[in-house]
Amino acid sequence: MKKTQKIDSQTVIRFIMDHMLVVILIALAIITAMVEPKFLKVSNLTNIMRQFGALSFVALGLTFAIICGFIDLSIPGMLNICAVMSVILVNPLGQVGALIMTLIFGLFAGFLNGALITRSGGTTQAEGLFITFGMSQVWSAAAMLISDGKTQQLRWCDKPYTIFKFMGSYNVFGVIPIAMVLFVAVMLILNFYHKRTYSGRCMSLAGGNKTAADLAGIHVNVTIMRTLAIGGMMTAMGALMLVSRVTNASPTVGLGYDNDAILSVVVGGTSLAGGKGNVLGTMLGVLLVTLLSNCMNLLGVSSHMQYVMKGAVLIFAIWADNRKNLQSN
Amino acid sequence: METKNSEYILTMSHVNKSFPGVKALDDVSIRVKRGEVHGLVGENGAGKSTLMKILSGVYTKDSGEVVFDGQVIEKTTPVESLNRGMSIIYQEFNLVQTMTVGENIFMGRFKEVGGMRGTHKKARELLDRIGSKIRTHALVKDLSTSEMQMVEIAKALSFNSKLIIMDEPSSSLTADELKALFQIVRQLVQQGISVIYISHKLDEIFELCDSITIMRDGHVIDSKPVADLTRAEMITKMVGREIENEYPPRPECVGDVLLEVSNLNSHKLHDVSFQLHRGEILGLVGLVGAGRTEMIRALFGADHVRSIDVKMEGKPVHIKNPRDAIALGMALVPEDRKLQGLVLPFGVGSNISMAALKNISSGPLKVVNGSKEKELSQRQIEDLLIKTPSAETKVVSLSGGNQQKCVLGRWLEMSPKVLILDEPTRGIDVGAKFEIYLLMKRIVENGGSIILISSELPEVLNMSNRVLAVCEGRITGEFNPVTDSVDTIMDKVLG
Repeated sequence: MKKTQKIDSQTVIRFIMDHMLVVILIALAIITAMVEPKFLKVSNLTNIMRQFGALSFVALGLTFAIICGFIDLSIPGMLNICAVMSVILVNPLGQVGALIMTLIFGLFAGFLNGALITRSGGTTQAEGLFITFGMSQVWSAAAMLISDGKTQQLRWCDKPYTIFKFMGSYNVFGVIPIAMVLFVAVMLILNFYHKRTYSGRCMSLAGGNKTAADLAGIHVNVTIMRTLAIGGMMTAMGALMLVSRVTNASPTVGLGYDNDAILSVVVGGTSLAGGKGNVLGTMLGVLLVTLLSNCMNLLGVSSHMQYVMKGAVLIFAIWADNRKNLQSN
Repeated sequence: METKNSEYILTMSHVNKSFPGVKALDDVSIRVKRGEVHGLVGENGAGKSTLMKILSGVYTKDSGEVVFDGQVIEKTTPVESLNRGMSIIYQEFNLVQTMTVGENIFMGRFKEVGGMRGTHKKARELLDRIGSKIRTHALVKDLSTSEMQMVEIAKALSFNSKLIIMDEPSSSLTADELKALFQIVRQLVQQGISVIYISHKLDEIFELCDSITIMRDGHVIDSKPVADLTRAEMITKMVGREIENEYPPRPECVGDVLLEVSNLNSHKLHDVSFQLHRGEILGLVGLVGAGRTEMIRALFGADHVRSIDVKMEGKPVHIKNPRDAIALGMALVPEDRKLQGLVLPFGVGSNISMAALKNISSGPLKVVNGSKEKELSQRQIEDLLIKTPSAETKVVSLSGGNQQKCVLGRWLEMSPKVLILDEPTRGIDVGAKFEIYLLMKRIVENGGSIILISSELPEVLNMSNRVLAVCEGRITGEFNPVTDSVDTIMDKVLG
């Protein structure tokens, strides 16, 4: 076996392909800044970071689910119910109780996804897809029922909702939204969990090959339930961020978040086939998706066209991922 | 340039192919005569599959010349090669399970052969030509492996192939099916078709092939008529060193009973009972589907069973899942290493450490000790002589033998008392096989016991202390492989 050491155009192209995301991010920022100087204003950048909130947490949770081999489609329904619930619970439980209950509910709903998947034996990716899709419908309907189909306003609450306000509008040093700080903290914790703990490693291995993991003594079912529970809690976090920012909760607020979250995760280098991926990449992915939305808004691209663009980016990201896999084999 | 009527159907000269970091083919030259069976042998990773993929057009060669049927071929695609008259029958067949035999043979060409009626008529003619009696209306999923192979051969013939390449065609055939295959190959050759026969099984090569090319590490080591080679020479050339025996001497220090299985019943198994002694290699022989794999999977807790009583070191134990089995000191190397053994997209290190991970994590958060993990995978890589550039290299890029060693290394790290090996040497070359045999011997000498399942009878008979015949979910006999004859054992295996 001889090593070939040549630096040619192929190598350069491969480097760009491997670090595609960062390259595109920078290019996108530069182009937008040139076309629309408003982009670089502090207020716009803070705005981007704030928009980051909901999607970033949802995408973190989804990253775990996808690494474990499942595409969690329960996201829209979960966001709907969690958002509505957090507002409605402020009156009976107080704001702290509402926040905690929502998080616990997210954890439980995620766990339920996992339990349904493992108990029904539907542990293939496609079966998981449809089970979570079904759960999304259930939670959406539940959100409609408990809210009577009305958007719940935080200002209707009799009790104080200062924590919501704080999370939605407080800026550290006047520029960095608290949501961003929280996100980075949670991301680092999840990264540690994924890379360093036994449970995290089981999650990757189970996502890579469930049969092999099981025969090697890994408790695959528990791993799936644990992973999806974490994902559910992250979605609940996302819902809280969303409610904090807009100070109300519509029972259809989660619509479209599944698309954006899948886009962020895949663009961030997590393989849809399971096993491979990381939350740091997802952060870049979320950044790209948020930036893309922001740029297109600033440039006056219609919202329909924005969907087309996002779809194209998603397909491109999957193509790039498969291309990379082909080369490494 | 060769003429159309040259003696050789295929001439490859000085072909080179590199992948990032690896030279897969180095100055490879091969000539295949018209109407001969040309054996292609070499260890896994020798470059055989790369060669085939260049021929079929999956890869493009870096340099060198390929002449097929008098035509210089620069760049090609799989479809072009087919139409030119070169078919490849892969180990994993390219058949659509839910379609009929006829449809599979003429896939995508129904119009040209005159619709469905023509399809089945022509398919019948092709199958008759190789003496196969398969109904053309049968669904492929209902066929046996050997019948599927017939369909593949008929498909190759339907393209008027002048050269058929068979990749490990015998790996899942019974002795009778193999005979039938040989007959068909000889018929093809008589009709002037050339066959490149790739196999690990040296007996087959000697029986069937006219000439042979031996490859190792991307080079052609030798290429000559089979008559000019002895078996020992061939093995030496394949592995690059001399192997005196194909099997090491069997272990001798068998102790008291370690494991006792009784009353094992499931929908496929009936009243199975057996014992395993300390320091023993226990062989299970039987046909594919006789229930050997089901037995050990049930023992390992991987499948649900109606009833099973297991005693380990005299004490009754309950094994409900693989984790229980592992906690009792059992280990399983499953039959399909790619689907059941390895996490293919992961590195060699992760694949080795995955069973031991739990033991090297500590604290309430169960943080994995990274340095210990590196240490243990490195230890196994060195101990088992796993050929890999690094522990981070993806396990999928390793050769079959080295992949199997990764699965073995995973369990050796746990020092198992009972090691269950299900087809441990399937698709593995001679050199790696011998290393795995030595490893088995080392394990039993250190007090472990092994249950060995293998479809290669000589392997079971030469390695085991005791052999159990398995037929239709029952244990039909117990034999001493030294004193009992193969015929008496096979008699019980066939029921």
